[in-house]
Amino acid sequence: MNIYVLSIVFSLLFLGFVIEMIRRRQISERYSLLWLILGLIMLIISFFPKLLNSLASAMGIIYGTSLLFFISSLFSLVSILHLTTVITKLDRKTTRLTQELALLKSQGEEARDDRSADRPL
Amino acid sequence: MKSLVIIPAYNEENSIEAVLHSVKEWHPGIDIVVVNDGSKDETGRVARAAGLAHVIDLPVNLGIGGAVQTGYLFAYRNGYDIAIQIDADGQHDPADLDKIIQVVANGEAACCVGSRFVEETDYTPSLLRGIGINFFSWMIRWTIGKRITDPTSGFRAVNRDCIEVFANYYPDDYPEVEAVVLLERMGFSVKEASVQMHSRAAGKSSITPFKSMYYMLKVSLAVIMTRIRNVS
Repeated sequence: MNIYVLSIVFSLLFLGFVIEMIRRRQISERYSLLWLILGLIMLIISFFPKLLNSLASAMGIIYGTSLLFFISSLFSLVSILHLTTVITKLDRKTTRLTQELALLKSQGEEARDDRSADRPL
Repeated sequence: MKSLVIIPAYNEENSIEAVLHSVKEWHPGIDIVVVNDGSKDETGRVARAAGLAHVIDLPVNLGIGGAVQTGYLFAYRNGYDIAIQIDADGQHDPADLDKIIQVVANGEAACCVGSRFVEETDYTPSLLRGIGINFFSWMIRWTIGKRITDPTSGFRAVNRDCIEVFANYYPDDYPEVEAVVLLERMGFSVKEASVQMHSRAAGKSSITPFKSMYYMLKVSLAVIMTRIRNVS
């Protein structure tokens, strides 16, 4: 199996894997779009490898693979940055939820204590 | 004026009871809320058994910022006019409570920080801690143009407006310095009053040498961000 077939198979597997994860609700549609687009780009480049080389030379890059590495590291950086913002948001939400829960619990406890204190023994 | 003492506590079962008693000794009428920040020891049970305070148990550990903010939320929702933060480890002397409450109560300032360095006190910081405190003091002077001698002090009183601000936003970890800058940036005045501080009665300081590097960087960044952020 040459690299040409291998990359097509890999791209298809990747896309199938992402779609299966969405089907099982392991990734929400909102966050899956990025990965679907990435899978499609991988598939297109696998089918038409010349595309990469012509794009690279148009940008003044000698090796097509350099462009590939450049794009993939850029993609990784951006997606990690995006994830960090998601985590920050989640963190803020869990903090507030924890606080609300604790306040509610203590309120309930004190109301119960008051009631039992009022009741004659 | 309805006042509330907020005591954030994480694994302070050995000192919390003494702190509660000494607050009540100096201020029998004052309300206290202990925010038990998911302690692994018996802090919550000990505080509850003392019967002197409301006890709020956070189901998971949020860290000092999240715990203190829970106290401010409690103060805001229950209509308190003044909230005072005190550490659970016995470092802060409740004898000084009145001093810092008065500054806020008579409208001299929106926030009063209990400082070890306004007047000569028994307290002398270690060399590194001293450098840290001076650095943040300089940073505050540089960002808001005001002299705060003890910006890392967690012994402070705030009025109702500041309670509302903190209920909505409070820094997550090592919050003291950033909170001062935030208030000043929002147009609230911060003042200091001289207080005594003891070395801790029990437990360990949360600041290890390894963490102090993160502390310096994180707080510096937060101060600069608060300075360039649109806060109002």
